[in-house]
Amino acid sequence: MIATRTSRPPLWRDVRVLKWAFQLAVLVAAVALVYVLVINVNRNSERLNIPTDFGYLDNPSQFPIPDSDFRQTQPVRDAVGQGLINTVRVSVAGMVLATILGTLVGVARLSTNWLVRSAATAFVETIRNIPLLLIVIFSYGSLAITTFPRIDEAWEPGGVAILSNRGVYVPALEEAPPFLGVVAVALLAAWAVSRWRREVADRTGTPSHGGLLATATAAAVLIAGWFAVGAAFDVPVLEGRIASGGLRISPELFAIGFALVIYTASHIAEIVRGSIQAVASGQGEAAWALALSPIHRLRDVILPQAFRIAIPPLGNQYLNLTKNSTLGAVVSYYELAQVTSISVGNGAPAVPAYLLTLGIFLVLSLVISALVNVANRRAAVVTR
Amino acid sequence: MGRIRTFAALGAATALLLGACTGDDDDASDTTEQAGGGTDTTAASGGEPAADDTLAAVQNAGVVRCGTRDDLPGFATLDASGEYVGFDSDFCRVIAAAVLGDADAVEMVALETDDRFTALQSGEIDVLVRNTTWTATRDGTEGATFLMPTFYDGQGMMVASDSGITDLDGLAGQVVCVAGGTTTEGNVATEFTRLGLAAPEVLSFESVDLLQQAFEEDRCDGWSSDRSQLTGLRSAFPAGPEALTILEEVFSKEPLAPAVRDGDAAWAQAVEWAIAVTILAEELGVDSTNVQEQLASTDPNVGRLLGVAVDGAVLDPGLGLAPDFALQVITQVGNYGEIYDRNITPLGLERGLNDLWTNGGLIYAPPYR
Repeated sequence: MIATRTSRPPLWRDVRVLKWAFQLAVLVAAVALVYVLVINVNRNSERLNIPTDFGYLDNPSQFPIPDSDFRQTQPVRDAVGQGLINTVRVSVAGMVLATILGTLVGVARLSTNWLVRSAATAFVETIRNIPLLLIVIFSYGSLAITTFPRIDEAWEPGGVAILSNRGVYVPALEEAPPFLGVVAVALLAAWAVSRWRREVADRTGTPSHGGLLATATAAAVLIAGWFAVGAAFDVPVLEGRIASGGLRISPELFAIGFALVIYTASHIAEIVRGSIQAVASGQGEAAWALALSPIHRLRDVILPQAFRIAIPPLGNQYLNLTKNSTLGAVVSYYELAQVTSISVGNGAPAVPAYLLTLGIFLVLSLVISALVNVANRRAAVVTR
Repeated sequence: MGRIRTFAALGAATALLLGACTGDDDDASDTTEQAGGGTDTTAASGGEPAADDTLAAVQNAGVVRCGTRDDLPGFATLDASGEYVGFDSDFCRVIAAAVLGDADAVEMVALETDDRFTALQSGEIDVLVRNTTWTATRDGTEGATFLMPTFYDGQGMMVASDSGITDLDGLAGQVVCVAGGTTTEGNVATEFTRLGLAAPEVLSFESVDLLQQAFEEDRCDGWSSDRSQLTGLRSAFPAGPEALTILEEVFSKEPLAPAVRDGDAAWAQAVEWAIAVTILAEELGVDSTNVQEQLASTDPNVGRLLGVAVDGAVLDPGLGLAPDFALQVITQVGNYGEIYDRNITPLGLERGLNDLWTNGGLIYAPPYR
């Protein structure tokens, strides 16, 4: 029997071995780096008697937060919670408004009307190229506190709202939960009615008037429910220089919200424009050929296909918006970064406090990415 | 062969980059480690980290890195030629004159309020002289040791003169703005609770510019900060100092003191005595104009202070400083009264609590003997 040697190269030249060895080496180096950094921080903190655990969360926070029930005697963990609520509040509102504005501007950039097209281009090119910090400072110093009059001369349109440079107060619902139940019932009833009418229309061929009847049903339920649960409006009142009641949008919230919305919208406009142009031109031409009006062509044919393409970059912009909300600290909007910064100023140890904030933002970002991925999967073209 | 060359180049570049990043830290920690090992061998052999020896490190480096700021008139601000002027800036120079014999051998590091303790803890600065209040929590959790206060301050409230507000009652439920990163928000809330007033809305800004704009636009009714800061800011207010009134209420104790890192007794003592000699000089009537004549004084206290031989011996208290360090401080910077008059008196703030103990104030230094 002839012994044949396989033509394996020696170990140090074998590609498969080298591949694994290199990956292992990189992994060990990365872990070692992190380990060294953590050990260094811990050793130095111990040497200087700086606490490295999260015990500071139980200490009283010693600072109040506006627009909330938070009092300074509550522990720091409650302050962090309130900061998180404020971050989510401005981020969610910002995402919705930025998408709407961005889509409108993006479509406007492709308009055949020269004025509309130029205005949209000017908006995108200006806002996109200014650093967000400057936009935030401008929208506070030159917009939020100067647009509306000072509290002594505040406008009170209809006696139900207060507009001043200390905040915009609008009537709000008192005791929201019972009325929210009524709203849910109304929506359910409207949906049921529209389904029933559609079935009738399919069966008999008579016009369904589904939208009309559904709206009427919802309105009826809402009005009946309003009186049934005894809901009332909380109207803001102005006594001297102090306004209270109602729903308040503070100038700080307005400044950071406005800046985030127009900045992110300028980016979303470019994404939407690009994704519309990426839709095969045959689709638009076919829509013309079917004599669809421009609105229907856009809404029913082009945009649905464009959004499929736009979802991943849109998700990216949502992540950016959430992280950019930390600039609220510059204008004293009490979101998470501001709360952390004030806690550290009041004696909380810096490393654990900022680690906690990082962790919370990481979780927020992962949640947003997960939702965007779900939307992406559902919108994806199903291929056999 | 091409791929190996690429990898080698990448590896060399990475090594260079990492080397550059960590190079400075290694040098600094080496010198402090060696100095620490020399003076405290028991600790080193016991396995504990050697105590910091900033005094030796500073004397080796020939420069004191002083953490300060550049935006508070009267305490630390930049003049037209880019030099730091102010009460705290002068005390930085006092420390440099005492430790190194040269008041200009100081590197001023302008810090934001949020970063001041981090800069001290990390070793970026040697001493923090930045109108910082001495509190128990900061002693305990910031890794800092506070020294003799240089300025006894208190938190106060400033309002527009035409607002009609004359005391804190007028601010109940109103809006108060503060500069963030300090204990000011907490003090405001605590004081209003203590007085049983409706809690105000407290806004906390990172920069004084935005705060000033908000105050001018009547977004805020009150501006709260240390009274010395308020005096400085009022003097620089665009509409003129008469447009603002500082209310009489003082609602917290704010002793402003320099700070050094924990666990560095030699450096702490050196800085403390550098400050003390300015106070002692004013007590003894020695200032920068008459210090040369005072060298021949018959008062043994003056002689000891200035490092002149008294009864045949020059006093060396073993602080690690030159015997004539007080002479250098007084000649190059001045005594406490001169520093105060140069920087704080133009703002209109009386000596008050910051007068010598012989005049009813709180400024008192231990005897130099």
